[in-house]
Amino acid sequence: MKRRFALAAALVALCAAVELVAGRGMSPATAWEVLNGGGDATERHILFQLRLPRTLVALGAGACLAVAGLVLQSALRNPLAGPEVTGVTPGAVLGAVTATALGLAGWDSPLAVVVAACAGGCAGAALLWLLTGRGGGDPAQTAVHGVLVSAVLGGVTAMVLLVKPGELGSVVQWLVGTTEGRVWQHWHLLWPWALVWGAAAWLLAGPLTLLRCGDDMALAAGLRAGRARTLALLCAVALTAGAVASVGALGFVGLLVPHLAVALFGADLRTALPGAALVGAAVVCGADAAAQLSSRLLAAVLDAGRFALPVGALTACLGALMLLVVVRRTPNRAF
Amino acid sequence: MAALLLTAAALCALSLGTPFVAPHRIAGAALEGDTTLAGIVLTELRVPRLLLALVAGACLGAAGLVLQEALRNPLAVPEMLGVSSGAALGVAAPLVLAVSLPAAVQPLTAIGGAVLGGGLTLLAAGLGRSPSAVLLTGAAVAAALQAALLVMMVTADQLDLQLIYRYLLGSLSARTWDDVSGLWPWLLVAVPALVLCAPVLSVMRLGDEDAEALGVRAGRARLAALAIAVVLIAPVTAVCGPVAWVGFLAPHVARRFAPTATAVRWLPWSAVWGAVVVAVADVPARLALAPVETPAGAWTALLGVPAGVVLLRSSRRGRPSGRGAATPRPAAAPAAVRAVPPGPRTAAPDGSVPGPGASGGIGKQAAGGFGDTPSAPHRDRGTEDAR
Repeated sequence: MKRRFALAAALVALCAAVELVAGRGMSPATAWEVLNGGGDATERHILFQLRLPRTLVALGAGACLAVAGLVLQSALRNPLAGPEVTGVTPGAVLGAVTATALGLAGWDSPLAVVVAACAGGCAGAALLWLLTGRGGGDPAQTAVHGVLVSAVLGGVTAMVLLVKPGELGSVVQWLVGTTEGRVWQHWHLLWPWALVWGAAAWLLAGPLTLLRCGDDMALAAGLRAGRARTLALLCAVALTAGAVASVGALGFVGLLVPHLAVALFGADLRTALPGAALVGAAVVCGADAAAQLSSRLLAAVLDAGRFALPVGALTACLGALMLLVVVRRTPNRAF
Repeated sequence: MAALLLTAAALCALSLGTPFVAPHRIAGAALEGDTTLAGIVLTELRVPRLLLALVAGACLGAAGLVLQEALRNPLAVPEMLGVSSGAALGVAAPLVLAVSLPAAVQPLTAIGGAVLGGGLTLLAAGLGRSPSAVLLTGAAVAAALQAALLVMMVTADQLDLQLIYRYLLGSLSARTWDDVSGLWPWLLVAVPALVLCAPVLSVMRLGDEDAEALGVRAGRARLAALAIAVVLIAPVTAVCGPVAWVGFLAPHVARRFAPTATAVRWLPWSAVWGAVVVAVADVPARLALAPVETPAGAWTALLGVPAGVVLLRSSRRGRPSGRGAATPRPAAAPAAVRAVPPGPRTAAPDGSVPGPGASGGIGKQAAGGFGDTPSAPHRDRGTEDAR
C-alpha cells in the first residue's frame, strides 16, 4: 500500500512537471532555466504567475472532484453516481454564468466568479435536497432526481446565455471545464476550502465504508445511516462546488477516478480517499498537460494561432470510453 | 383538456407578437395572403411554425412512449439515452466544421448521431439493467457528447455559437415552410411503422418471457422499436433541435389520463400531448423576453421536468401506472420514484430501506438483452424484491 501511495505521488509530481513545461511561448529548456533562477522577466512571469498557479489549481480541482465522487458513490451505493448528477455542477455553472451575465463578475475578478459558482452549486444541491425528501430517500431515487435537477438547471443556464449572447464565448469554456488563465487568486481561494472539506471527508471515511456495505449492515453496526449519508452528501457538494468554481464543469473525473482509486487502493475508504485525491490530481493535471500539448500540435497542423483545447474536452472523451468499461464490469446487482 | 390547451396555444401562437393579429381576424388575415403585413407574417412565419411545433411535439411524444415501453423503463427518454445529444451532434458538427451539406442529407447525419448516442448508452448500460442504471449511463453519455459539441463550439466563431447553442436545446425560431415540408417523407415512413408496432409494444409490457410465449420476438421487437424511435427523433432534431424533455412528459401525462389503457391507446395520446407541450412552450419562448427569442427546449425543461416529477410521485401505491414492471403485480410499488415521507429516518430498519440488489422503487427486470446474454443473471419474472 505504501508503495502504491508513493507511486501515485510520483505520478502526480510527474504530471505537474509536464504541465509546467507543456505550454506555448516557452521551450521546456527555457522553463528549466527559469526554475533554476535564470530567464528574463517575461519568462519568469509566465512560469511563476501563470503556469504554476494553473498547475496547482488543476491538481486541487482534480483531487476535490475525485474525493467528492468517491464520497457520493459510497453514500448513494451507486457506482454511477458522480458530481454531475447531483445538481451541483450545473448549479455552479449557472451561478457563474448568471453572475457574469449580470455584470456582477467578470474575468478580471476571480473572487466574484468563485463565490457565485459556490452559491449556485449549493442552490442546486438544495434543490435536490428538497426533491428527495430532505435526504431520506433511497439512493437510486436520489440519482434519478439528481439527473432531473441537472436538466432543469441546464435549461435555466441556456436561457441566461441566450439573453446575454455576448458572454457566450467566454462561458463555453466554463461549460466544458478549463484551466486557462487561472492565477494565484484562484489557488488562494481553492486550497483552504479543499483542505477543510477534504479533512471532513476523511473523518467520514469509516462511516462511509460501512455505508458502502449497505444500510442494513450499517444499521446493524450501530451507524445512523440517514444521518451519515446526509453529512457525506454535504461534504461532496462542498467539494464539488469548490472544484467547479475554480475550473468549471469538468466531466467524468468525479465519476470515474473513484473506480480507479478503489481498484488501486482497496475499498477501505481510509486509504482509498487519499488515494482518490492523488489519482484525481494526477488525472486532471495530466489531462491538462496533454490538452496543451495537443493544442500546440493542432495549432501547428491547422495553422490556427489561438486554438486552445480545454481540458474538459479530453476528460469527457476519455471518460466516455472508460465509462463503458466500468459499466460493463459492474455486476448487475450493484445498482 | 388537451383540445382546450391546444386551441389556446394555437390562438396565442397565431395572434400574439408583432404585429398583433386579433383572434377573430386570423382567418381573414391569412386569406389576404401576401398583400398585408399581417397576412405575410401569418402565412409565412406563424402558421408553419405552429405546424412544426405540433408535428415535432407529436413525434417526440410518440418516440418517448415507444422508448419507455420497449425498454420497460419509465425513465427511458431521448434525453436520457443520449439519443438527443447524439442527433444534435450529428447536425451541428457539419455546421461548425463548415462542411456544407445539402438540406436533404441533414436528417441522415442526425440519424447517424442519434444511433451513435443511443447505441453507446445501450451498449454500456445493457438492456436488462435497472432503469436508474440506464438513466445514469445515459446522462454520462449525453454529457460526453455535449462536451464534444462544446469543444467544437469553442473553435467556432461567435455567431455560430449562438445559433448552435439555441439549437442544442431545441428552438423553433425562424423556421419556414421549407423545414416543415422536409419532415413529411420521414413521417410517411414512421407513422405506419408506429401503427404496426403499437400492439407489439403493449405485449412487451408483460415482460420478455410472456411476450415470447405470445409469439413476439422480444429482442427483435425491441430493436425495431428503437429504430422507429430514432427515425422519429432524428428528423425533428435536424429541423429544430431536440426539444428537451417532451418525450418524458407527454407519455406520463397520457398514462395519467388513462391509467388502465395499453400502449395502443397511449400512443396517439402521447403524440397529442407532445404536440400540446411544444405548442404551449413555444409561446413563452417567442414572447417572454422579446425581442430576444428563448429556446422552446429551455421552457420545456423548466416546466416539463418538475411536472414530470410531480406526475411520477403522485402515482399512488397500488394503482397500475406506466412503469416497467415485469408483471403487473398488485402489491408492487407502482411508480419509478416513490414519495418518501419527509422527516428523519428512524434507526430501525423499516421496510423502505433497500436491501442489496434492490433498486429503490424501480422493479428490477429480468435481464433480457438481445437473445440471452450468458452473463446475465436469469431471474424468474415476478421475483422482484417486493418490499
